Amino acid sequence: MKIDSRLLQKLLPFLSLIALFIGLSIASPYFLTANNLASVARQTAVFNTMALGMTIVIITGGIDLSVGSILGLAGLIGAMALEAGYPVAVGVLVGIIVGTGCGFLNGLLITRLRIPPFVVTLGALGIYRGAALILSNGLPVHRIPPAFAFVGEGSLLGIPFVLWLLVICAVIVHLVLEHTRLGRYAFAIGSNKIASVYAGIPVDFHTTAVYAIGGALTGLAGMIEASRLMTGQPTAGQGYELQAIAAVVIGGGSLNGGEGSVVGTLIGAFIMGLLSNGADLLNISNYWQQVIIGSVIILAVTLDEVRKRRAR
Amino acid sequence: MLELRNVQKRFGGVTALRDGNLSVSAGEVHLLLGENGAGKSTLMKIVAGIVSRDSGSMLWNGAEVFLNSPSEAAAIGIAMVNQESLLAPHLTVAENIFLGREKKRPLGWVNRREVIEEARAIIKQYGFPLAPEALVGHLSPAGRQLVEICRAIRHGSSLLIFDEPTSSLSDTETQQVFRIVRDLKSRGMAIIYITHRMDELRQIGDRFTILRDGAMVHTGVLADIPTDQLIRHMVGREVDHIYEREHLTPGETVLEVRDLSTAETQLRNISLKLRKGEITGMAGLIGAGRTELCRAIFGVDAITTGEVLLGGKPAHIRSPRDAVRAGIALVTEDRQVSGLALGLPIAANMTLANVERISRFGFLDLVSQNKLCTDLGKTMSLKAASVAQGAGTLSGGNQQKVVIAKWLFRQAQVFLFDEPTRGIDIGAKTEVFELMSELARQGAAILMVSSELTELQHVADRILVMRQGRISGELPRINGASPSQEQIMKLAVPESTAGNKAA
Repeated sequence: MKIDSRLLQKLLPFLSLIALFIGLSIASPYFLTANNLASVARQTAVFNTMALGMTIVIITGGIDLSVGSILGLAGLIGAMALEAGYPVAVGVLVGIIVGTGCGFLNGLLITRLRIPPFVVTLGALGIYRGAALILSNGLPVHRIPPAFAFVGEGSLLGIPFVLWLLVICAVIVHLVLEHTRLGRYAFAIGSNKIASVYAGIPVDFHTTAVYAIGGALTGLAGMIEASRLMTGQPTAGQGYELQAIAAVVIGGGSLNGGEGSVVGTLIGAFIMGLLSNGADLLNISNYWQQVIIGSVIILAVTLDEVRKRRAR
Repeated sequence: MLELRNVQKRFGGVTALRDGNLSVSAGEVHLLLGENGAGKSTLMKIVAGIVSRDSGSMLWNGAEVFLNSPSEAAAIGIAMVNQESLLAPHLTVAENIFLGREKKRPLGWVNRREVIEEARAIIKQYGFPLAPEALVGHLSPAGRQLVEICRAIRHGSSLLIFDEPTSSLSDTETQQVFRIVRDLKSRGMAIIYITHRMDELRQIGDRFTILRDGAMVHTGVLADIPTDQLIRHMVGREVDHIYEREHLTPGETVLEVRDLSTAETQLRNISLKLRKGEITGMAGLIGAGRTELCRAIFGVDAITTGEVLLGGKPAHIRSPRDAVRAGIALVTEDRQVSGLALGLPIAANMTLANVERISRFGFLDLVSQNKLCTDLGKTMSLKAASVAQGAGTLSGGNQQKVVIAKWLFRQAQVFLFDEPTRGIDIGAKTEVFELMSELARQGAAILMVSSELTELQHVADRILVMRQGRISGELPRINGASPSQEQIMKLAVPESTAGNKAA
């Protein structure tokens, strides 16, 4: 059978992930241990969950720069609820609701004020972070019931609980994108907003909904982060927005909108997770890790662009 | 001057050009004809250095050249005036003329006054109605083309390529372009001219070359060949060069516009009726308000006074969403900007205005989507591998079919067609007209805006004419005969003389 070079290029992120996996298995004896793999899963779960939400936002041609701050605010308020004595499930739900509210507000501002998402969410980045600091007086929330640790560190049937959460979220987001009206509209809005308006699609409603969904997933990520740290940190999540965007982009999402997929984003996030884990195992300094990950982002997008140009 | 022999070009698995031949000499206007997808654009992109050829030869003044970029082409004197203007809208006319060719000074300093004066000199020499300080973004399409022509002159071009320069221009502007082309010709410039408008060929061309399926099929002197023979060479089969449809007796009024005015787009007291089974033509110059009227009816622009009635009742349309829900469809004049999601598959585009029809509780039934869309494509003789193919990869005519399919899928009752045949080839035009006729037969009410008078004469049951934001008159068919072009133009051209009381 002839190998289609285009198909090969499309699978490139996936093949890179596999190559990275095999390479690291050979390079370090510690890599392929249950302990290490579980820790990779736990480390990447936060970014992965955020990146799923970012995928839908980016597909509509938007961006949410405030997710790092939303993560901090949601994690903090969720932790406060736990501190106040509410059960773990309620605390997590509070975090998700706070995230949803923040995302909803972003969407509302973008669609009502008709200001570019970049600007609105850049402003929101400061507002939500400031709100978290004001609310906590800059101090972390510590008195959290030990049971909460299960969310970020526990295991179910021998598999990290966060991985279950991630798989469930990924399946839901995938179904939403490929099999629901909302997903179809997200692609349409990102591909051609004017044509979508002219086709009678309620563009503002769906745009707002997409940011709210992104916020909900970020809220969940915030609770995972809080559970891993066992504190509600008002400063949690700083700079995470760039990690989330990078995962989407490495996975083939286009910042111009209309392109992106759950599978691509997961691969993108795992590539970044493995790179960072591998660098730790191989004793590569933190400083170099940043250079390597940055280069990978540019390389991945370059290859993807070359593929798209050829297809044209 | 320019000689192309056996030029070939493949894009991936698609052969765009099999046997491109062309010979152009100084001081002539050479028409390049052919249907969309015949390879005209590819051939011209090779000449202009935008794409490189796979094989064959290109001789420029007798010497073989191989161009790798538009700037290499510009350096030897070849320039292209683009169909969709490639200018920087936020810069002035003068700055655009000099763009990329600013005089080299220390620190990249630009002397604004000098640039403006030099631009003024060029503009004056050719007598163009342009101000060097005006922002290009504020110019009309015709004005932008003039800026591109100035650029080419400034860069010392001796061969100018015009790719459908008149497709977005009104008749007066078209005449202006013709005058300029003749002027450039008389100064010894060679001109390659691509057009789909059969009515303008003879006003401008000296010789012609016809491409079909990527190969040259005929070349010669224009005066030696009748038009129907030209068309036969282009399509490769016999085609009625004029489309004829049966004109039916219209039914009841479906949509009525009563005394409609808008503030921003300056429509004044428009009243009209669209009836079941009738195609109402709409003529007028660019800027007369025809597109704006469509936009107002469709809820894009706000109506300040007056109303739109559907089936005799006020429709209260405040957004395109309201219009779509009320059964109105708008096929916009620019399908790439406002009609299609080019990056998405054909099926997603066809269902865009009626996703409800293929979804249950918000979930899509992709199996029925693909079946419905495949069937729809078949009835429209859409040329595509499958409905999963990207809409952006289709030819202009097939893209237009997808846009129309979107509204068929919506089962709209009122169709507003704004320049439905712009930029599509003769074969596809006929198919679009057939679709419109079929819609009318099935009882749709249709408004057809067009700048091609012959099209209106043949397709429309009656013709409304707009001028400066008003409807200046209505011309019915008399004993089956359409109104003359003179009658239409008289109502369309702005004039200060008496006798043009607006309807």
